[in-house]
Amino acid sequence: MDFYLGLAQVIGVHTLLGLSAYCVLLTGQVSLAQAAFFAVGAYVAAILTVIFKWHLFAALGVSAVVSGLTACAVGFPALRVKGLMLVVATLAFGEAVRLFFFNFTYQIQAGELKIGPHGAEGFRQIRYFPEHGWSTFDVLMFIWLMVAIVMACLWWLDQSRAGAVMRAVGEDEVAAHSSGINVTAVKVLAMTIGGVIAGIGGGIFAHYTTHIEHVQFGVILATFAIAYPILGGLSNVFGTLLAVIFIQGFLIEGLRFLGDWRNLLFGALIVLAMNLRPRGFLDAGGVASLKRMLFAGKESSGA
Amino acid sequence: MIDFIQNTIDGVMIGSSYGLLALGFTVIFGVMRRLNLSYGPTVMIGAYFGTVLYLDFGAGLLAVAAAVVAGAVISGVYVERLCFAPMKAGAGIASMVSSFAIWMQLEQAAVLVLPRHTYPFPPLATGPALEIGPLLVRPDHLIMLGGALLLAAVVQLALYHTRFGLGLRAVIANPIAANLVGVDVGRLVMLAFAAASAIGGVAGFLVLAVDQQVTPMFGMWATLKGLIAMMIGGLGSIPGALLGGLLLGVVEVHSHWLFGPQVRDLFAYFVLFAFLVARPGGLLGRTADVELSHRV
Repeated sequence: MDFYLGLAQVIGVHTLLGLSAYCVLLTGQVSLAQAAFFAVGAYVAAILTVIFKWHLFAALGVSAVVSGLTACAVGFPALRVKGLMLVVATLAFGEAVRLFFFNFTYQIQAGELKIGPHGAEGFRQIRYFPEHGWSTFDVLMFIWLMVAIVMACLWWLDQSRAGAVMRAVGEDEVAAHSSGINVTAVKVLAMTIGGVIAGIGGGIFAHYTTHIEHVQFGVILATFAIAYPILGGLSNVFGTLLAVIFIQGFLIEGLRFLGDWRNLLFGALIVLAMNLRPRGFLDAGGVASLKRMLFAGKESSGA
Repeated sequence: MIDFIQNTIDGVMIGSSYGLLALGFTVIFGVMRRLNLSYGPTVMIGAYFGTVLYLDFGAGLLAVAAAVVAGAVISGVYVERLCFAPMKAGAGIASMVSSFAIWMQLEQAAVLVLPRHTYPFPPLATGPALEIGPLLVRPDHLIMLGGALLLAAVVQLALYHTRFGLGLRAVIANPIAANLVGVDVGRLVMLAFAAASAIGGVAGFLVLAVDQQVTPMFGMWATLKGLIAMMIGGLGSIPGALLGGLLLGVVEVHSHWLFGPQVRDLFAYFVLFAFLVARPGGLLGRTADVELSHRV
């Protein structure tokens, strides 16, 4: 049972990571810096609860703000470049952040042992949940509450005028610009929102794994973050959730019995999925036909 | 002063390996306008081919080199068929995500074939370092630098003085127009991919023969170093790729000397980020190439 609770926690946190990339992708930008914002959130939240003994909620709030500000600061210079150049620029930034945490040491003496991030060894002893009597189930509920809140906010954003503006920038920047949209502001805003979401996700990640280190936040995590919304489709937030369940639940945990051969199949299945549905599981056409099916069902039951 | 010159020479030598890796990347990127994260891992598969021959059959240096190139070409074409050929225009990110998935697949395949963390690779040239006055130069480094210059010249000639190169440049400029005048775009792209993988194979062979060891981490390392060198040098420019590699090597060795090994990679990424923001075209890139890469 604990295994499934743990898996549900992983899926929840990765959904937050995927949603942070989703938000940026809506404006047509591909950012490989999401893992870096996730790392900033993780380290900031963990330092606040472990060293400064803050409450978790306050720490998560601050980590969201710090990650958001980092994203905003990266957004301005990075948005001078577009397309593939942006991919590489954000990749460079992400790796630089990872190497920063590789060299980052900030420890205090607590009783007999030293606590705090310690360079390459990482940051151990993040024991907020056990120390405050949270059970695995409590943690799980908390994670999914955050996922639900973030998904609801993004859903509302999608339906509002702001969502339409973001999609307009993503579809055709020149057209959006000529109809009076401030393209730079929209892109930086999307990047900032993505940073906030990644910061919350990172903060939670640090607390349920209890041990974070720089290698967890490398290119691989950054590409996973992009892969979720791309594989799931950009028509709505549920695509990302679906893709996280597919990758983490089925491809990674479900195929674990294959042992060393799993990664061979893992690669093949993702390529197959991308070939069959290059625009994602839930693209605009898929959503429309789903709606038609539901609508037709209602009609027949009414008649 | 002597230290500074010695470091610069070391940087140029190490940089020539980055330049070599960037050459193959430039050809793929120039043709596809898509990011191939599997570039390094395809070279690594070639390297594992060569290592198996060397360990199990005692193959000589030339046979190992041929095996590395052949392995890289086979896996390169495999990547192209799976990740790039089926993806239509406008699905560049789908290609990138697919190539990432194939990267994990190739890395796992390599680990399944040779499960230990490091394996020996045949050395290129053994012997004491050459002394030029107070300065030291390793002979295998010189061979690598010579290989980089030669390969860059060959690629440049092939691109601008052969029929194949002409067709390739037509596809780079405008794939639809190239198709209309009778260029078989699909076939040409596959051949370009194979050629780029062969260049990557030669690069990988030289780099590994200097390091004399091969690890499963080589794939990621090759992708990242090749990418940084290509971006600093300028998109779509063959001399630029080489120059970018050399510059990256010099920056790395000097920052290593001044601030220590931890800062070395940090500096490399910082230089890349600064270049991308301040001068997106790189050292020798043309603005037209930058604009072509704006749509992912």
